[in-house]
Formats: sequence, C-alpha cells, structure tokens
Amino acid sequence: MQEAISITQISKSYERKIALSSLSFTVNKGELVALIGPSGAGKTTLLNLLAAILPPSQGHILIDRQPLSELMDHKKRAKKIGIIRQQFDLVGELPVIHNVLAGRLSEWGIFKSILSMLVPQDKEYAVQALIRVGLTDKLYEKTSSLSGGEQQRVALARLLVQSPEIVLADEPVASLDPARAEDVLELLVKIALEENQTLIASLHSVEYARKYFDRLIALKDGEIFFDLPASSVTDDHINSLYRLKELS
Amino acid sequence: MDKRWLNFELHKRKILTLILLLAFMLSLFFVEWHSNLIHSGGFITAKQIAAAFFTPDLSGDILLLALESSWTTLSYAAAGMSLVIIIAFFFGIFASGILVSEGKIKRYIRPLFRGQLGIMRAIHELVWAWLFVASIGLSSFAAIFALAIPYGGILGRIFADMLEDIPREPIKALEAAGASKIQALWYGYLPMVRASITSYAMYRFECAIRSSAIMSFVGIGGLGYQIQLSLDDLHYDEVWTFVFFLIALVLIIDLWSNQLRKRLVQ
Ligand SMILES: Nc1ncnc2c1ncn2[C@@H]1O[C@H](COP(=O)(O)OP(=O)(O)O)[C@@H](O)[C@H]1O
Ligand SMILES: [Mg+2]
Repeated sequence: MQEAISITQISKSYERKIALSSLSFTVNKGELVALIGPSGAGKTTLLNLLAAILPPSQGHILIDRQPLSELMDHKKRAKKIGIIRQQFDLVGELPVIHNVLAGRLSEWGIFKSILSMLVPQDKEYAVQALIRVGLTDKLYEKTSSLSGGEQQRVALARLLVQSPEIVLADEPVASLDPARAEDVLELLVKIALEENQTLIASLHSVEYARKYFDRLIALKDGEIFFDLPASSVTDDHINSLYRLKELS
Repeated sequence: MDKRWLNFELHKRKILTLILLLAFMLSLFFVEWHSNLIHSGGFITAKQIAAAFFTPDLSGDILLLALESSWTTLSYAAAGMSLVIIIAFFFGIFASGILVSEGKIKRYIRPLFRGQLGIMRAIHELVWAWLFVASIGLSSFAAIFALAIPYGGILGRIFADMLEDIPREPIKALEAAGASKIQALWYGYLPMVRASITSYAMYRFECAIRSSAIMSFVGIGGLGYQIQLSLDDLHYDEVWTFVFFLIALVLIIDLWSNQLRKRLVQ
C-alpha cells in the first residue's frame, strides 16, 4: 500500500491553548478514515492543518512523501487535496453551475474564469458532476435557494470537478437532518471509492463513522485516543471516548 | 486597562450627548431674535409661493422646457455616476485590501487608498465645482468631475467596507479549490456584494440627480437653472412645475432601483 498522508509529531497551539499535541499517523491511498471525538478535541484543527489552511506549530506533514510546506502553489495543491466543510462554503448568490465550475479555477487562467461567468466554460464537467450527485435540474438555480442537503451535494459536485487525490471533510453532514445526512455521506464515500480517493472525514456521529468508514481515529484533548479498524471498535471504546473528565 | 479610562469609555456617549446639547443651547443665544429674521415682505412672498403650488404652469412651452431640463439634469447625473462607478470599483477593491495577501504591502495599500477616498469625499461637490470652474472654466466637465470625485469617495468607501464584511468561509473554500485572488474576487466577493452595492449605487444616483440639479450655476443648464431663472422672474407657478419634474425624476429612479433590487435578491 502506498502512503498518501504521513504526519509525524504534529502539534498545534493557538495563543495559549494547545489544540493538538504530538500526533503521528499515516494514511494509505484509498483509505476511508473517520475522525471522531468530543467537540474541542481538535478534529477541525487537524483537517485545517492537512489542508494547509493553518500551519502546524511543530512537526511535519508529508503528502505523497512530499512535505506539505513545499506544496505552496495552491493551484497544484488543489489537485492533491480538496476540502469540504458545511454548506456555508458555497457562494449563495451564484447559480449552482458557477459554484460547481469553481472546481475548475485551478485549471483556468484569469481570462477564462471571467469569461465563464458570461458563457459557462467546460460546462460538461458541471453537468456530469451534477448528474452524479443527483441534481440534474438545478443547473441555473440560485444556490442559496437550495435546501441544506442539496447545497452539500453542490459542494460535492465542486469537489468532483476539482478532482483531488485526497478529500478532507469537516463535519460534512453536521447541519443536515438524519435522512439527508446519510444520503450525503453515502455519496461522499461512494465517490471516494469510484475516484480512488483517500477520504478523511470528521463526524460527530459514531454510528455513521462505523457504518461507512474503514478506520476510525479518535481524538480527545488533542491526542489520539485510539486508532482502530472500524470493525474492532467496541462500545466500551466509544463510551470512554465521550465520558466526561470527572468520571474517568 | 486603566480603570478610569474604562469609565470614560462607558460614559463617552452620555458626555458627547451633553456637549452637543450645550452647543445647541448656546447657539440659540447667537441667533438674533428680532423681527428682521424674516424680512417684512417675506410672508407675502411665502403666501404667493404656497399658492402657486396649486397652480403650476402647465403650458406646452414650460412643459417642454421642463422635459428638456430634466433630460439635461439626468444626463449629467448619469455621466457623473458612470465615472463614480469606475472610481469606486477600483479604489474600493484596493481600499479593502482583498487583492493583496496579509503582510507588509497590505499594511500600506489599504490605508493609502482609504485615505485617498477620505480626501475625495471630505470636500463637498459644490466646492469641487468651484475649484473646477476656477481651473477649467464654465464647462459641463466641471460639473461631471465635481460630482464624480466626492461620490466616488463615498461609493468607494462603502464598497470597500462591504467587501471586507462578507463571510470568509466561501472565500477560503474557493482558495482551497485553487482560486487565485482575482478569481476569488470574481467568483466570491463580487457576487456576494452585488445586490447591496447595486442598491446603494442606485441611491447615490438619486442623490446625484439632486446635486446635478443644483450645480446649474457652473453653466450646465438643467432643472436647477430653470428654477433659478423662474424665481428671479417671480414666476412661482413655473418654479413648481420644475420642482415637480425633479420629484418625478427622483421617484422614477427609486422605482427603477426597487425593480433592480427585487431582481437581484429574489
Ligand atoms: N482560532 C482559534 N483560536 C483559539 N483557539 C482555538 C481556535 N480554534 C480552535 N481552538 C481551540 O482548539 C481546540 C480544538 O478545536 P477544534 O479543532 O475546533 O475541535 P473540534 O473540531 O474537534 O471540535 C478547542 O479547544 C478550541 O477551543
Ligand atoms: Mg470542529
């Protein structure tokens, strides 16, 4: 198995608060990893470090055996790593098609991207992606008029167009009702499998994590609490992960 | 932080209110309250003007003249606003600092352009008009530039503030998808502020029409000029005709603006 991500001794502290302390693990190509843990455990921080949105305080991150800090050109980085968060990441005022085609911006020059607002360029990409996420008839609808679940599908369609090797997802279904949440999660995993992507998603539902992912990494207070194949995670593990401090 | 300073912060507003109130009361003492405040013939004239309100001059000549003057006023306002939009667009983008990454350059660019916009709007359009008339003489360009500079300063400032105030998440997401600064401007910032800046620009257009009307003294004709002529001739019925046209013009812009906003927000 080839290594997609390898992090060694990563620490991150905000002004005074230590969010992550000395984390190490590797993720292989094509693995489906769920990050779980109580809120404040450091899941968002870890994903932001992997997406190079934040720099680590200490330690290094290798993406495809190459230091992330050397992947400074963010057009190239966008081909390696994509991130999806909650649906607030879309530009609500734009029609769906432009939000999806934004996944092409790393390929386009300035002229083509400006032109595309008038005459959508590479439109086939957007159409294909929207078919795959099941939103064929909303191409020209204003994004903010879509429901939360539909908007998250639009974000997935953008990610499909961007087509990165590694997909990071930070609570991608946090603001959706249970039925929609499962739809979107199922889609996220299905796409990752079809595209041979490596997927790391933070989730607050352990049930979903066990159902859809191969491997569960649990964080607690900025440290790895356990790192196990989904099948060997027991209820005891989960209970002690979420148990409050004074009880443990 | 020092405690006394904190106290001052707390009561700053009350203190300011007190000072303003005092200033107002003092000012009353400086007004000379005698009968000359309104000159003796004043009441008669006022009555005549009020009476003329109900009998505006609706003869063909005057209506035609009013229409023509409205067109002049409108076209100067429109020419001025076109310049304003160009100025506000570029100055606003640089004054918001969104095209440069955090760091040294941004620390200079942002205040530089914000300062520039400040100077432009610190001076009223009528003062700009004086300055332009003094330098390039009585010409329509004097009026257009005089309008464009302070209005560009105002609109540019508002545009910059709007750009700075939009939610960051969509922009970060665009950048994570590989967008450059200019692409993020085009796909994130501009669509997000489009509706509000358009409706504010339309409001400024309305103001520009009023300004353009009273800037007639630099020799550009228009409604203000006609009002002045009719006042000089004591033809108050004509004055009201022109004033009604001015009101109509502003109302039409307002209607158009509402229409536009509805389309943009829907
Ligand atoms: N920008 C920030 N400034 C200061 N502290 C932060 C910031 N972001 C997160 N933290 C702190 O870091 C810790 C980890 O946060 P986060 O990564 O958001 O956890 P999670 O996503 O697991 O809920 C929390 O204690 C949080 O309060
Ligand atoms: Mg989080």
